[in-house]
Amino acid sequence: MTRPGRLLRRHAALLVMPMLVALFLAATVAIHPAFGAFDVQSLALGALPLALAAAAQTVVVLSGGIDLSVGSLMAVANVVAARTMQHAGFGQSLGLAALIVLGGAASGAVNGAVLVASRVPDVVVTLAAGFIWGGIALLILEQPGGGAPDAFLNLGAGTLFDGLVPNALVLLIVVVAAIWLPVRSSRLGLTLYAIGSDRTAAFRSGVAVERTRFLAYVVGGVFSAVGGLALTMTTGIGSPLAGTYYTLSGLAAVVVGGVSLTGGRGGMTGPMFAAYILTLIPTDLIFLNIDPNFGQVIQGTLIVLVVMGGGLATLLRQRP
Amino acid sequence: MRHLGWFAAGAVAVSALLGASHGASAAGGKFVVGVSNTLIGNGWREEMICSIKAQAKASGIVSKVILANRNGGPPEQIADLRNLISAGANAIIVNPSSRDALNPVIKQAASRGIVVVAVDQAVSAPEAYVVSNDQVAYGRLGAQWLFERLHGKGDVVEMRGIDGVPADADRHEGFTEALKKYPDIHVVAMPFTGWAINTASKQIRDLLASGKQIDGVWTSGIDSAVPEAYQTAQKPFVPVVGADNDGFIGQLIEWKAKGLTGAAVTNPPTVGAVGLAVALDVLQHKSHPHVIKLTPEVWDNTTDAGMAKLKSVYIPKLDPYYSVDMEIKPYTNYTPAQMIACEGP
Repeated sequence: MTRPGRLLRRHAALLVMPMLVALFLAATVAIHPAFGAFDVQSLALGALPLALAAAAQTVVVLSGGIDLSVGSLMAVANVVAARTMQHAGFGQSLGLAALIVLGGAASGAVNGAVLVASRVPDVVVTLAAGFIWGGIALLILEQPGGGAPDAFLNLGAGTLFDGLVPNALVLLIVVVAAIWLPVRSSRLGLTLYAIGSDRTAAFRSGVAVERTRFLAYVVGGVFSAVGGLALTMTTGIGSPLAGTYYTLSGLAAVVVGGVSLTGGRGGMTGPMFAAYILTLIPTDLIFLNIDPNFGQVIQGTLIVLVVMGGGLATLLRQRP
Repeated sequence: MRHLGWFAAGAVAVSALLGASHGASAAGGKFVVGVSNTLIGNGWREEMICSIKAQAKASGIVSKVILANRNGGPPEQIADLRNLISAGANAIIVNPSSRDALNPVIKQAASRGIVVVAVDQAVSAPEAYVVSNDQVAYGRLGAQWLFERLHGKGDVVEMRGIDGVPADADRHEGFTEALKKYPDIHVVAMPFTGWAINTASKQIRDLLASGKQIDGVWTSGIDSAVPEAYQTAQKPFVPVVGADNDGFIGQLIEWKAKGLTGAAVTNPPTVGAVGLAVALDVLQHKSHPHVIKLTPEVWDNTTDAGMAKLKSVYIPKLDPYYSVDMEIKPYTNYTPAQMIACEGP
């Protein structure tokens, strides 16, 4: 195959996903011609927590793992933020947010340390962690409540340039770039992909497999905590059960975004665009006045199509 | 390049699918109504939505009911409400997932002239109308009937709902208020049924097997399981308080001859239709108070009036947990058959 062909194939997600989002947006505008700045902001607000959950999951899945505690950890970050920031100023809130992100890293570290040390499969450890965090979120805040200063909420819920650019979109790009780009371009990024695609080969090439797995969960924990903060920004309160929804939805975005569940293949951009697509589906159903339960059917169909497409691509590649 | 093609083909298919059902427009009427609900697969909520559809059709002035119905929390509901605003709703009926989290989006809706009515549960936004069932009264009225029936003396079971849920806390508050006036009534067991039929059945069977003295049973809505358990155990019935569920009402009518006494306290899902009626009035510049609490009714099978009411609402062959308090005058003007049909305009 020619060089441009290979480049295209390698960065398929970078090209295809924006096209797919553009197609969905075009379909939405066709259905609902009044689609404007308000709707763009709705989209960005809805997609923000989902995209961050997907980011957390992407890092772990790329390393060959899976994290079923993403949603519960988001819930914990959400309720801690809402409880501690309620009477805080903007500056204090930023400080608290930083502490919460550190806490996210620490809890990711606990996940990573336990599964590396115990050799219990990722699914089991993170499933258990998910229950534990879910319970802790309820202990911190029994029912929805708390709050945060308006200036802090505005970081996610506000808009720039006369309502044209939603902060939620800017925040997503800035946060994901700030966390992921340094990781991706460092040695950690390389080893992350290496252990994801072939753990034995990576080990034989001198990669510290266990340390890399551990660090993947730490980075995932950071993204989950930011996701929890995003929930606080977009809802203005803490709700102990809000996050739980994002474990599976985030995983769906990862798959639709072209990341292979077996690890080592895919990138961060795909799942980000996928989060926007998955957020647009219920919107379109409301505009079309179709029973929104079809949303789940469509989401499932999309996942199957993507996985089948990915499998087919692999088959075609293996042919001489 | 090949898998680009696959993606593109998929995308075209998706947009074709989305586009296909477009164009379903409504005739007649002038108002578009949005409905937001974030608990699906729940009978009471489904009935609530049916009552809204039936009222929309009966009103003759609603062109379309747009349903935003999926499982989720405040973030999903905020997204749904924003989408309903975009979709051109004139009124939005919302069963809120949070008291405070929806306030900013409700404010935005109000600033666009959209009437927002929170039903079943309250929101704190001052712009919104709130129509709810008085759950404290639900607990108090049923308990009072039971304690009167026992002549102010005896041992009772309080079968509650889910711990930590506002409706359960409010009903317990009402129950406790009534209990204070009857010093010789004792609560001998207080299980949480989780509003689940199998859980409640097991709890009442266990209580019967324990041999504890029980003179009466108050339930937070999982009602027909109790007479059922007495029947199975072949024990003499004790007075039972339940809700307006069809199965329990059938028992109150048919097993009266076998000695079953009881009362049904209403908790109508029709609160949704009342919310819509209020919204349509406000859109037509008729004023309503911002907070409307529906006081439950008590239908007992020990008085002629109560028995007549029970017989008038009972529909044989309906689902046992279908709430039959389908009409709330003066707000609703559809027939029960229209509500069961669950068809909108």
